Amino acid sequence: MSHSTQLDKERIATSAPESHAGVLVVRRHHLLVRCSHWLNVPILLGLILSGISIYWASPVYQHKSSPMTGNVDPLADLGVWICAHVPGLHQYSSPPDWVYNHISLGPGALAEALRLHWLFAYLFMLNGLVFVIGSAMGGGWRSLLLRWTDLRDALMMSRYYLRVPVAKLTRRSLPHPRFSTKYNALQRVAYFSVPVAGLLSVFTGWTIHKPMQLHWLTAIFGGYDKARIWHFWLMCFFISFVVPHVALVLADGWDTLRSMIVGWSMKAGRSEDL
Amino acid sequence: MNPEDEHPAQRADNTSAAESVSSRRPASFFQERPPQAMEVDPQLLRQWTRRDVLLFGIGTIAAAAGGASLLPQTTLERLGILHKQKNRPGKEWLLDKALRVDDDVAEAMYSGNRLVPTYTKSQITPLRNNYNGATPDPGYIPEWRLTLDGLASGLSVSLNIRSLLASFQLHEQITRLVCVEGWSAITWWGGLRFDDLLRAYPPTSQSKWARLESSVNLGPWGNPDPYFVSLDLATARHAQTLLATHLNGKPLTVEHGAPLRLVSPVKLGLKNIKAITRISYTKDEPVDYWAMHGYSRYDGI
Repeated sequence: MSHSTQLDKERIATSAPESHAGVLVVRRHHLLVRCSHWLNVPILLGLILSGISIYWASPVYQHKSSPMTGNVDPLADLGVWICAHVPGLHQYSSPPDWVYNHISLGPGALAEALRLHWLFAYLFMLNGLVFVIGSAMGGGWRSLLLRWTDLRDALMMSRYYLRVPVAKLTRRSLPHPRFSTKYNALQRVAYFSVPVAGLLSVFTGWTIHKPMQLHWLTAIFGGYDKARIWHFWLMCFFISFVVPHVALVLADGWDTLRSMIVGWSMKAGRSEDL
Repeated sequence: MNPEDEHPAQRADNTSAAESVSSRRPASFFQERPPQAMEVDPQLLRQWTRRDVLLFGIGTIAAAAGGASLLPQTTLERLGILHKQKNRPGKEWLLDKALRVDDDVAEAMYSGNRLVPTYTKSQITPLRNNYNGATPDPGYIPEWRLTLDGLASGLSVSLNIRSLLASFQLHEQITRLVCVEGWSAITWWGGLRFDDLLRAYPPTSQSKWARLESSVNLGPWGNPDPYFVSLDLATARHAQTLLATHLNGKPLTVEHGAPLRLVSPVKLGLKNIKAITRISYTKDEPVDYWAMHGYSRYDGI
């Protein structure tokens, strides 16, 4: 735990004998921002599951037909490999489909996948609006804006994270770099990129959905086929953001996770952890 | 190190970074504001926490369960969540509603005056034969005729390909064909404008839709499987909606719907019906082959 929560505990302890036993907390996230944050969980899950099913109807990344299996899709090869090497899966009915059966809706589900994807896409756009309103009302958008000092500070934070494992192993104390802002530079880069990626996903999504009526938008992303690839890699960005995001929040402790639920934090004054 | 001491006398000469930020007025509209601190009774704080954790927990579980319940029946069964075929009407209703909203959005976005981008001959890409079933035997081509129904004259008109080619001006365009599956091809088409056919053989004044049918279409085992699509007349009248007779400067081959097929670049490929044998004009929206299989009906892109 960070020392600022220890500080709070000390403060509670020292001020306890007096009449007011108040705890100092800071407002962190507006109610609408918290709602949109958690709504993203089912919405993004729905979008990714149905999106992979849609991708599968016409995969972009293919290799030459394999002489052994006839597969052209790397994920089909992975499925074959998994079924051959994982105990209990030798009897799996269609090994090339294994990966898609477990990370999307399954084969032959394009019509359902499109319906789900559009439903979740409209919800995602509405949820984006909730986030924009919430961060405007709470003023939280200012904390996400990148600054010139972020270049140096991000390097400093990266250096700190690289040294954490060594410090833990050698049991040496490693002071956390100090920031007077809500987020440190690395957090800011990450939390700034997510709304930008969300916006780009929406734009590329419309580009794929209406490439003729919105052909000017399609042209910005390099045409219909390239827009599909943009959309695909934006999904990969969301996945690669979510994994460390969840891991670091859990590593940081209850106060950070709680602040996205209740809106306030005990870490009065500054952010020192992710 | 203890930068935020409780003592007011010490706070005055405290010069930590956090203090200096919070005491300074923001220099610009974009500058981050100092955190808003408040003092709360710990008892109250515990109550708030309990309430909010419960509410958000219930909400997240409800939303996740709601989202999961929308998954297709086959997916739920495979995941072992649902074993019996139980089709909940609520789920269908929501997905149908979303599909209809999306179709309405597509229709609102359509403009009869907006032309789709055209390409040069060097940008042409190969077009695959995407007949869903078997490709028909070309034996139908010599006796082929196009029948028109629902005309203002009250008559049914039957045309052969020679009379169509002789009485209408041919137009050429290189446009992109986009398939619902996600692939696309840049193709060079030649044919008559649907709009010209509508002018030569006007439909009844109440007509809003065209039903295009191919009676020669086959299923996957070579069984007869007539293909039919609905097309709104606003799209049929678009300047780039062709009844194509040529591909890459040559007459259509059987793979691409000889002798006459629809080319409507503002619609998904599945509306671009091959080997049309009948066009009927109707007041109400006709049924559509792929809409019956769960796809959208309007398919404007």
